[in-house]
Amino acid sequence: MKTNTATRMGSVLLCSTLLAGAVAVAPLAAQAEEVTIGILVPLTGELGEFGKIVAGGVELGVAEVNAAGGTKCGTIRAVVADTGGNPEVAIREATKMIKSEGAVAVVGPTSGEMVALVDLAKRTKTVLMSPYAGTITLNETGGDYVYRTVSSDLGDGAASGLWLSEKGYKRVAFLVQNEESTISPAQVAKAKLEASGIELTDYIVYNPGQPSYQAELVSVLANAPDAIYLAGGQESGVTVIKEATAGGFEGEWLFTADLAVPEVFDAVGAQYLNDRAYVELASSDRSLPEFKAFETLFKEKNGGAPGPFAANSFDMANLVALSLEKADACTGEGINAVIRDIADGGEPVGTFAAGKEAIAAGKDVNYEGASGPLAFDKSGTPAGSYSIQEAKDGKWVDLKFYPASAFE
Amino acid sequence: MSLLAQYALTGVVTGCFLILATIGFSLTRQVEGFLNIAHAEMLGVSAFITWGLNAVAGWPFIPAAAAAVVATALIGLGIGRLVYDPMRRLGPAVLLITSVGVAYVIAGVMHAIIGTGIRSLDVPLATTYKAFGLRITDYQMAVVALAALTGISLALFMNRTRTGLAIRAMSANPELAASRGIDVRQTSRATWLLSSGLAGLAGVMLALIATLSTDIAFNQILQILAVAILAGLGSLYSVIVAGLIVGIAMDVSVYFIPAGYRPLIAFLVVILALLVRPEGLSGKARS
Repeated sequence: MKTNTATRMGSVLLCSTLLAGAVAVAPLAAQAEEVTIGILVPLTGELGEFGKIVAGGVELGVAEVNAAGGTKCGTIRAVVADTGGNPEVAIREATKMIKSEGAVAVVGPTSGEMVALVDLAKRTKTVLMSPYAGTITLNETGGDYVYRTVSSDLGDGAASGLWLSEKGYKRVAFLVQNEESTISPAQVAKAKLEASGIELTDYIVYNPGQPSYQAELVSVLANAPDAIYLAGGQESGVTVIKEATAGGFEGEWLFTADLAVPEVFDAVGAQYLNDRAYVELASSDRSLPEFKAFETLFKEKNGGAPGPFAANSFDMANLVALSLEKADACTGEGINAVIRDIADGGEPVGTFAAGKEAIAAGKDVNYEGASGPLAFDKSGTPAGSYSIQEAKDGKWVDLKFYPASAFE
Repeated sequence: MSLLAQYALTGVVTGCFLILATIGFSLTRQVEGFLNIAHAEMLGVSAFITWGLNAVAGWPFIPAAAAAVVATALIGLGIGRLVYDPMRRLGPAVLLITSVGVAYVIAGVMHAIIGTGIRSLDVPLATTYKAFGLRITDYQMAVVALAALTGISLALFMNRTRTGLAIRAMSANPELAASRGIDVRQTSRATWLLSSGLAGLAGVMLALIATLSTDIAFNQILQILAVAILAGLGSLYSVIVAGLIVGIAMDVSVYFIPAGYRPLIAFLVVILALLVRPEGLSGKARS
C-alpha cells in the first residue's frame, strides 16, 4: 500500500514538475495569452490522498489541453493550493487565486469548502467546480457559477440503500459520522431500508476525532446485526471497524467512499475485510469509450490506474477549457454563460482536441466526460452512476455497477 | 442492565485515558502557572514516534513505546527551556498564547514529516475478554492498568522524593519555595520532563487504541481542558476523580441520549460541577 501511495505521490509530483516545466519554458510572447485556473484541494489532512488524486487529474487534463494548442484564451496555467480540508483556508486561498493570480475558475474543493466558497464565486463571477463535493447544500445553492462533476450525496444514499436491500440482509445497523456529507446519504439509505422492510437495529451518529468508539458500539454489538453501514472518514472508520471486529462482530460491512482507499486494508488487516466488506462510491461507467480512453492516457502518463474521482477531475479541466474555447470572453462570466451548452446538446466529443475542432467548425458540442454524461441539472449537478466494490485479497474490486438509470 | 454496566465499564476506560492525557497538563498548570495548549500535541509526538519505531522501523511495541515516552519527555524539556523559560516573566496569558503557537509549530512539523492519511501500529487486533456479561479488550485493560500505575507512581514520587516535594512546594507557593532554597530552575525542568513524559504515556495509549492522523492528538484538548477545570488546582488526585467522572458520564450518556452529544456531556458535567463547587473538585481556589 505504501508503494501505491508513493507511486501516486510520485506521479503527481512528476505531473506537477512537467506542468511547471511546461509553463516555465513557455515562450515569453505567449505569456500574455495565458489563462489561469486554480486547483484548490486538501493536500494535507484526512482527505489529502483524495486531494492529490484530484490535483493529478486536473493537471493531466490541463496538460492535454495545452498539448492540443491551448484554448483561444491561451494556454492554461494551473496554480495549486492546499486547503488542509479547512473551509477558512479554502476561502483565503481561493481569494488569493482570484484576486492575485487572476484565476477564471477554481476547481477541486471538498463539500464543506464548496459551501463556504459559493458566495465568493458568485460575487467575483468565478466558476467554482468540484469533482467530489456531493453535499446536498449545493442542491440548493449550486447552478450559477457553482458546478460539480459528481452527483449529489443523495444518489450515494440511494445506491447504498439499493445494495443493502438487494443483498438480502434482515437486520442492519447504521454508524454515521456527524457531518452533513455523511448524514444526508445515510438518511436516504435508511428510508430505502425502511421501505424494504429491513430492520434497522441502531442508527448511531458519532463525532469523529475520538481515540475510541467503544461507547458507540455497545448497543450495535449487543444487537448483532447482519451488516453495518458505516458512513465515516478514514480515521474514525478504521477504529470503528477494528473495535467492532475485536468485539465479536461477524456480519458484513458497507462503507461509504472515504474508505474506498487501499490504506484501509493495511490499517485494519485485510483478513478482517476480505469477502465481507463492500464500499459504495460514485463511479464512472467504465464501459464507456471516454473512460477507457482516459484510463489509457492516465496509465501512459502516470503509470498506474486512476484513483477515485480522477476521471471527474480530468473532466473539470476539459469543461473549463472547452467553455473558454466557446465563450465570448476569457473570464469566469464567459465560462458560466456557456458551460451548460458544452456539457449538453450538440455533437458528442470526448476530448478537448475534438471539441476545439468542432467549435472551430461552428458546431455545438456535447462534452461526454470520462466520468460519464455531464448534463447539468438546475443545481449544476450531473446525474450519477455508482459502483459497489468488494474487498478481495486485500484490494477493492468492482462488484456491481448502478447506472444513473437504476434510480429513475 | 448489563448494557448500562457495559457503558459504565467503557466509561472507566475512557476516564483512564483522560487521566493519562490530563495529569501532565495539570502538573504544568500547577507548577508553571499556565494552560499549556500544546500539551495535546505532545500526545501526537509520542504516538507518531511509537508508530515510526514500531510500524516503520520494525521495533516491538514495548521498546518503541518506552523510547517514545523518553523522547517526548526530552522534547518537552527542550521546548520548555527554549520557548517557555524566556517568556515566563511575561506572565501566564502570554505563555498560554505562546503554547498555542507551539501547538501549531508541532502540528506543522508532524504534517511535514508524517504527511497525510492514516497510520496504525503493527500490533495484533485487540483480544476481547468476557465476564459477567461484560466485555473488555486487552488494550482497554492496558489503558486502565497504566492509569492506575501512573497514579500510584506519581503519588510515591511526589511524596517520597526530593524533586517531587520540590514540585509540590513550587505548585503551592513558588515565591515561598524559592525563598526556602528550592532550586526553581531545576524544579521547573523536572516538571517539564515529567509532564511531557506523562503526555508521552498517553500518546502511546492513543497510538495503541486509535487510528492515527496528524489531527487526532489535538482533538483531545477540549476534553483535557474539561477534566483539568473540573479537577481544579489542588492535588493531582482530583485529576483522577475528574477523569473518571467525565469518562463515565460521557459514555453512560450514550445509553440515554444520541451519541452525537457525547462530547457535550463533558462540558455539561464541568458546568454543573462548577455551579455547585466553583473551585473544582480539589477545593483549592486560584490565587
